[in-house]
Amino acid sequence: MNQYIFHPFVLPFVLGMAFVLTYCLVGLFRIIGQLPKDDRKKFWRSLVTPKTAWANIRDLFGDCLFHVKIWKRNPILGYMHSAIAFGWFMIIVIGHVMLFTLKPLQDVDVHGFARTFTNFYYPIFYKHFAEETPVFAFLMDFFLIVIITGIFIAVVKKIYSGVVGVKRVTKFGFADNMIRFALWTIFPFRLIAEKTNIMAFWWLYSIDLMIFMCMLPFTRYMHIPTEALFILLKHAGLKPREPRKGYALAQIYSCPSCGLCIDACPMSVNDKNSGNTSAYFMKKLRNADDAEAKRIAETCMQCGKCVAVCPVSIESCDIKMSQREATPYIINSDHSYLENVESSSSVNSTVLYFAGCMTQLTPKIMRSMKKIMEAAGENYEFLDKDGGICCGRPMMLSGKKSEAQAMIDKNTELIKKSGAKKLVLSCPICYKVFKEEYKLEGIEIQHHTQYINELIKNGKLKVSKGDVNYVYHDPCELGRAFGVYDEPREVLENVGNLRKAKSEKELSICCGGSLGSFNLTQQERDEITANSVDDLMYNHPDEIVTACPLCLKTFSKKSPVQVKDISEIVSEKI
Amino acid sequence: MKENILIIGGGAAGMEAATQLKKLGLNPIIVEKSERLGGHIAQWDRLFPAFHPAKDVVEQMLNNVKDVDARLNTEVTDIQRDNNGFHAVLSNKETIDAKAVILATGFDLFKAERKQEYGYGIYNNVITSLELEKFFKEGKDPRINNPKKIGFVHCVGARDVKVGNTYCSKVCCTTALKQACEMKEVFPDAEVYTFYMDLRMFGPGYEDLYLKTQKDFDVKCIRGRVCEVSEDMDGRLVIKAEDTLFGKPLRMTLDLLVLMCSMEKAKSIDKIQQKLGIANNSDGFMQNKDMYLGMNDSKQDGVFVAGTCTAPKSLPDTIGEARSVAVEVFNYINNK
Repeated sequence: MNQYIFHPFVLPFVLGMAFVLTYCLVGLFRIIGQLPKDDRKKFWRSLVTPKTAWANIRDLFGDCLFHVKIWKRNPILGYMHSAIAFGWFMIIVIGHVMLFTLKPLQDVDVHGFARTFTNFYYPIFYKHFAEETPVFAFLMDFFLIVIITGIFIAVVKKIYSGVVGVKRVTKFGFADNMIRFALWTIFPFRLIAEKTNIMAFWWLYSIDLMIFMCMLPFTRYMHIPTEALFILLKHAGLKPREPRKGYALAQIYSCPSCGLCIDACPMSVNDKNSGNTSAYFMKKLRNADDAEAKRIAETCMQCGKCVAVCPVSIESCDIKMSQREATPYIINSDHSYLENVESSSSVNSTVLYFAGCMTQLTPKIMRSMKKIMEAAGENYEFLDKDGGICCGRPMMLSGKKSEAQAMIDKNTELIKKSGAKKLVLSCPICYKVFKEEYKLEGIEIQHHTQYINELIKNGKLKVSKGDVNYVYHDPCELGRAFGVYDEPREVLENVGNLRKAKSEKELSICCGGSLGSFNLTQQERDEITANSVDDLMYNHPDEIVTACPLCLKTFSKKSPVQVKDISEIVSEKI
Repeated sequence: MKENILIIGGGAAGMEAATQLKKLGLNPIIVEKSERLGGHIAQWDRLFPAFHPAKDVVEQMLNNVKDVDARLNTEVTDIQRDNNGFHAVLSNKETIDAKAVILATGFDLFKAERKQEYGYGIYNNVITSLELEKFFKEGKDPRINNPKKIGFVHCVGARDVKVGNTYCSKVCCTTALKQACEMKEVFPDAEVYTFYMDLRMFGPGYEDLYLKTQKDFDVKCIRGRVCEVSEDMDGRLVIKAEDTLFGKPLRMTLDLLVLMCSMEKAKSIDKIQQKLGIANNSDGFMQNKDMYLGMNDSKQDGVFVAGTCTAPKSLPDTIGEARSVAVEVFNYINNK
């Protein structure tokens, strides 16, 4: 081989790069191989469907390179990420452009395998072998400096994370700390090597790259290559089926352990519970610590806030659910009673109201809904006046899909038999399962916040405006799960003044009463509730309004002001 | 020596402590937020287990404290430690300097509205144990209209994780049985049911009351919690419960439902408690030094606790604690 374009210092890099490429390729095949057949089909199809293909391109650039989501959250954090990611990407791209344009390499008489081999490392070390044109020189230097500014911020962030608005960060082990150090030093070494051409720095630069590449698969930085695959799988519309296989595995490796979910998680109000957050859950899964992963999956309240703040949009709640589905909990359920349940509703109503178990325990809501529907002159019927069948969500939360299905099927039968065109629910817990699992073609499913808002908007319901100051709490299963944020607020603005909570909408804090958790103690729940109430009381409202019977019950324990359901407020104003 | 002892709360504990302190030669000063002394017990008609008129006990206690300096309609708004003990500012702008403070602030009755599934404040015929006691005392309540079927629900706001109170409220079991008998006395034709988790008949004569309730008064005690209450077309109450001895769910129509509300630590003292540095236990009641030999001591020097502010207690328990706190305070002053 021509000495002109080879030097032994390229070998560590070549070794590292070959390793990481092989690893990623094997991983790619493994993940795709683990997908269930129908999922795999969906995946291939999504790659050629114009709509999803466009979404893929948009997100690959937007999320992987420019980190748009992080920019929105905190510009400094955003700059740090895109400086390093986009800067590095550009250096690689420009390096390869030069491969085909720079004179010295073109002139060298190397062919076949040797040529491919040369091409492999040349863009990384080109400066040692050739003199580039001023334009390229400027571009390369520019992006290198950009990367180094990003790394500078990273170092500052390591010392004081408050600078980017982050209180708590994930605690890392030796490997993660070591690779971070390697990453920080790669580019300064390159800069020095390029400017001075001192051999030692070329070696350091190459060895640093090797350390980074070789450690990558075993550390959080694996999220860099995996996120691209995750984006493609996500756009194919897949759902994780098993906690550590296929799509879930892609998500596990895509988690950058950034820890944004730690501050967000309502459980973190007690510092000792911050280990139950999604960042650690993903870590446990990745390290195959099944016992801990199972415990965290069972502790989680399924409020979805970690998913809402996740810069990578990891669907940790779904993975936790798949973990629960994989656990054979023993539940002695007997659904034989279902056969004898008869519908109490007639066939002539257009609106069917399903209170659900929780609303049966908060009869004020049922009363208010009755009053509202009568005042609006609606042709309505109660589906579960004399007690009904559970919607199935608690069973779903225990990972028992087939048991839930028995109830879902019976309810579906009763609802279809009623002939109603619209199903109104008072409980967001029911709403979620009705929206996601029930097949009720031709029947519109509404939560009462949406329904009441519609009644007011189309003039069927006349309400008077008072001067009470309300704050609205977004129930997790209505807000984050379905984005029902505006309807309840519009309703409240019709009957009084709306004050803002400190954290609203997708950042709303779970009330602490969630059915989702199996093993949070009452005291831990109370801490969460107290924190959530404090957040709601931020602007000193006269009353707290919610739209979930469970939130209502939970807040009533800790709130210094009255807590009411939105239907109660409206029925007072008719 | 006529040292001032500030007693916050003029209920059974406050009055009895004041009586004893006076006898021990100290100068107790009661600060009571309501317009009268006597506390919750003064609202009661008769006492368990022997149906003894509450009035007799209360009148005797009031008689004992007639020479005690008692400030009614007054609250302590601020309290600070100084070289001589405590300096308290009252809501009427007066100040009191005292060597020691006794917190005898008692309890709040659990707000039955919080257990919405029982329908208090929603359905007309759901009342609380206190309201029933008022009915016995005054003889009238528009909601009690010759009921034919009456139910009592035990443990409302007690031993209930969902409302956040995991403790037993101690006196409601016996009170429920006493009130059930009394209802039978007033309405001999009515059927009376009580829904209990288990009956905690811990005191002398209590178990006898339980037997009497069933044998002489024909009250039916059902082991199981009521889960839901609704109203039928005629405005009668429909309850759903479970009879855990039979292992069967049951549904029943009632004319009156009485909720045996639990005790919670009185909230009005929170601010002063914080100023004095007295923490709460996880059940929300005040922390004492220890539950055996230091039950009347708090963790703060010169601050003492007595009565239901530290845990639910019966009247005899409370009186016993009030007497012991007086001795504790007496020793504290003498050893200074």
